[in-house]
Amino acid sequence: MVTDSTTNASIPMAASNSKDFAKKKRVNRSAKLKQCKLDARREQWLSQVKNKGGFGDSSGHPPCSESQSSMENLEVKPRGEKEGGSIYHHYSDSDSASNSPTSHTSSVLGSSNVSGTIFTGSGGSSSSSGGSCSGSVTGEDEDDDGCLDDWEAVADALAVTNKKQEQDKHSFDNQSVVPSVSLPELKPEERVEGNVQKGPPNCRAWKPDDAFRPQTLPNLSKQLSFPMKSGRQYGCAWGCKNVVSVPTTCPICCEDLDYTDSRFLPCSCGFRLCLFCHKRILEDDGRCPGCRKQYDYEPIKGEATIDGGSLTFKLGRSCSMITRS
Amino acid sequence: MSTMNSGGMSAGGVSSRGGRSWPSTTSVSSSGKRIQKEMADLNMDPPSDCSAGPKGDNLYHWVATIIGPPGTPYQGGMFFLDITFPSDYPFKPPKVVFKTRIYHCNVDSTGTVSLDILKDGWSPALTISKVLLAVRSIFTTPDPYNPVVPVISRLYLADRAKHDELAAEWTLRFAR
Repeated sequence: MVTDSTTNASIPMAASNSKDFAKKKRVNRSAKLKQCKLDARREQWLSQVKNKGGFGDSSGHPPCSESQSSMENLEVKPRGEKEGGSIYHHYSDSDSASNSPTSHTSSVLGSSNVSGTIFTGSGGSSSSSGGSCSGSVTGEDEDDDGCLDDWEAVADALAVTNKKQEQDKHSFDNQSVVPSVSLPELKPEERVEGNVQKGPPNCRAWKPDDAFRPQTLPNLSKQLSFPMKSGRQYGCAWGCKNVVSVPTTCPICCEDLDYTDSRFLPCSCGFRLCLFCHKRILEDDGRCPGCRKQYDYEPIKGEATIDGGSLTFKLGRSCSMITRS
Repeated sequence: MSTMNSGGMSAGGVSSRGGRSWPSTTSVSSSGKRIQKEMADLNMDPPSDCSAGPKGDNLYHWVATIIGPPGTPYQGGMFFLDITFPSDYPFKPPKVVFKTRIYHCNVDSTGTVSLDILKDGWSPALTISKVLLAVRSIFTTPDPYNPVVPVISRLYLADRAKHDELAAEWTLRFAR
């Protein structure tokens, strides 16, 4: 089936595209597969571009010698061709859907030709030729392809295409003002370059807050913010401590809190007071002035008087006061 | 030794005979400083319709005034209160007594205010400023369910208009 289609289609253009043919052979398979995937994406994108941008350019573009209708045809062509061969093959009454991947590749490989032809205004035949010739190439290549290669390539291609798609959208938005004809110009170049083409767009650094940033990329903001955040928390903790023990004086007796006092946090509510006042309150009703809950140290008090030394710092402090009194 | 101490403290409280040593001294000095600070704070940022300050040289005896809030039967009245700080002030609530007669179910005939925060609800973190605000709040919202003058609370619940009329009459008579 594939061979049939390729032969049928390739005949007209094969001769003219012999150089490209040679080039294509040099490209390794994985690259082709990637490109295949890439191009599938790009076709979608291009179709959008064409739909949106076609209007503005057709008027201003000099190379298209033919009428606007022809221009539209031209613009449609690459899309149709890329979008599969399916479309084009239907048109040319070629084979089934199984051929579509090859046609994709073909579009990739032959795209330079196609674009060139488009600019020269040669029209549908050129595009068809591009598709066909590439189709033949892929036919050869894909027979050899192993599954493993495919999977790796597909995985790579998928990852790339995701980014690409995002990128393309981005670039499309940027370039939408520019005549869309320039877009086809750009695209072919990119395609010809093959793997290298991915360089420039991918090299562009994404800002963490970039709306078009691919989600597949690691979350920079998190990584970035982590140390910052921790630092901030640290600062916050200190700040909170300062806020709670605000005036550096005991809110009960208004005496200055010394170092031990300022580190003394008898209640979970965060109400701070000096050790003297705390002791005094324990003598009374043992309720925290801040939350009016019973201090936890009440039950421990007796225990503490027995062996205060073995207790922890806080307890030791509060209890040592009690014992002394 | 330790048990004796702890027992003495818990039983004796503030400055019982044996434990006079330093709880009492600290509490006195701390209460003085604390009261001075509260006075400064009151002067800096007095609560609305309230004023308070030492009566004379004695830091522990204050006089306070609260102006009857508008919209209440006590509107237009000037109510004087005596505030007496205990020597262990922040740990024990101040005594607040109305010197101006007032028709209120939460203020008895001697002028004693029944306020939770002046009894069991006291917290050393409370200040005179907050106490004054609390006292002022009972002007606008009496608590007839915990009255010290049941007659007034009953009237308040049964015939609010009559109660208000009487309160306004008392205000007019005693508070200006």
